[in-house]
Amino acid sequence: MDLPLNRNEPRVMHIDMNSCFATAEQQANPLLRGKPVAVAAYTTGNGCVVAPSVEAKRYGIRVGMNVREARFLCRDIIVLPPDPPKYRDIHLKFSRLFREYSPDVFPKSIDEAVLDFTSMPLQNKSLEDVGSQIKKRIKKEIGDWITVSVGISTNRFLSKLAASLKKPDGLETVTWQNLENVYRQVTLVDLCGINTRYQARLNAHGIFTPLDFLKSPRDLLVKQVFRSIVGHYWYLRLRGWEIDAVEFGRKSFGQSYALGQFTSDKKELARLLMKLTEKMGRRLRRHGYTASGIHVSVIYTDYTHWHQGATFSTEMYTTGELFKKVMLVFNRRPNQAKKVAKLAVSCFGLAEKKFVQEELFRTEKTRQRDATDAADKINDRFGEFVITPALMLGMDKLVLDRIAFGGVKELEDLYTNSITT
Amino acid sequence: MNEKINEKVSVVTVFDREKRTVTPRKIKWQGRLYTIEKIGYHHKVKQGKKLLHIFSVCNNSLAFKLEFDTETLFWTLTEVSDGLAS
Repeated sequence: MDLPLNRNEPRVMHIDMNSCFATAEQQANPLLRGKPVAVAAYTTGNGCVVAPSVEAKRYGIRVGMNVREARFLCRDIIVLPPDPPKYRDIHLKFSRLFREYSPDVFPKSIDEAVLDFTSMPLQNKSLEDVGSQIKKRIKKEIGDWITVSVGISTNRFLSKLAASLKKPDGLETVTWQNLENVYRQVTLVDLCGINTRYQARLNAHGIFTPLDFLKSPRDLLVKQVFRSIVGHYWYLRLRGWEIDAVEFGRKSFGQSYALGQFTSDKKELARLLMKLTEKMGRRLRRHGYTASGIHVSVIYTDYTHWHQGATFSTEMYTTGELFKKVMLVFNRRPNQAKKVAKLAVSCFGLAEKKFVQEELFRTEKTRQRDATDAADKINDRFGEFVITPALMLGMDKLVLDRIAFGGVKELEDLYTNSITT
Repeated sequence: MNEKINEKVSVVTVFDREKRTVTPRKIKWQGRLYTIEKIGYHHKVKQGKKLLHIFSVCNNSLAFKLEFDTETLFWTLTEVSDGLAS
């Protein structure tokens, strides 16, 4: 099957905020503007840089480096801790603005969104005009230091690629006419979804550039390179046909925590797991679900990894019910003396609570669930962790508020809790 | 350098009826008066049902993070920064 390039008018816009967290900090504090700034998970040497500013990037500072490495590259770098409420507020303002232009807005992460214009008329305006107007309005209405890169094309993949062509503050369009030229300017790993492993796999089949990738026959991609339907999806994606406009339903709720102080102490780990479970349980209940499975994952200081999941016959709802199962799974890990660097818990096997069979008589379980609902209401009214399990006493500053990378599902919580203006 | 403060402060604000905005203009902190020259960002945060307005403001040498509690109507200075590396 030979499929031509998609020659339809480009109607998909990808908007990406440049150096999101660092730019937000420079917006809030004008004294930081024009200076190298890095937002890091922790401001200490081992803290991971999550967002370098445009100025910091010029020194070679990249996401994922630790603060010590960043300081080697730029002695005067200003390192700041993250301020998630500020970033969420910017995201919500972005979202409100984008919805004035298209009803089909899909947030891809805290700093990226796709606006789909395929189902609406543009009233004699080009999509480039709309993109320029959005850029101007962001500066005027959200923050004068905030810049975004806008990419326009016929599908999400190419519009994201277009947005990455000029950073910061770009506005680029990829059409069937300039597609080959664009592919000539980039490498395989510049394509969203191609990492170094996929690159190696493509290289093994004689595909070394995006242009080679585009010219590869469908059968080669499906039967030899990817050996699955994934090859067909790439064949379509590269030609500008939409294949990624799929929204996945919620399948789990999870929380993770990178320990500031590595430990193998059972009590300390149990306390951390309790806090993660309480946060996870709050989200599970807020969305009106119960769970029947638990997954626990541990990364040790020597970078080895252990994880295990288990499904149970009874559904879990309260933090207590979840925590018992979390500990049951967690205690199955071998080498319990090894120091832990990162913990993650998640629950799966979700069922809507309203479909769970009610019991005829009030049992201890129903009383506990009612007590949990009451505690949740108090926390909703007076703030998180006003009422906490006893195991969590004195640890309200641990397991800090964080924004997940690419956490589209996390954004659902954001919209349900957002402050309307 | 960023420093956490968490002290109640006196703030002079201006309400603009036409623009429908409230803007902090002066801060009195530890006996000194600071004139605000620029509002960097304003956002809202909910702590339970309590609504806080966070103003990030600055003059030409210091940046301040101010928190306005809509329940008590108190202003708290939460952070001060000189915009330099620590």
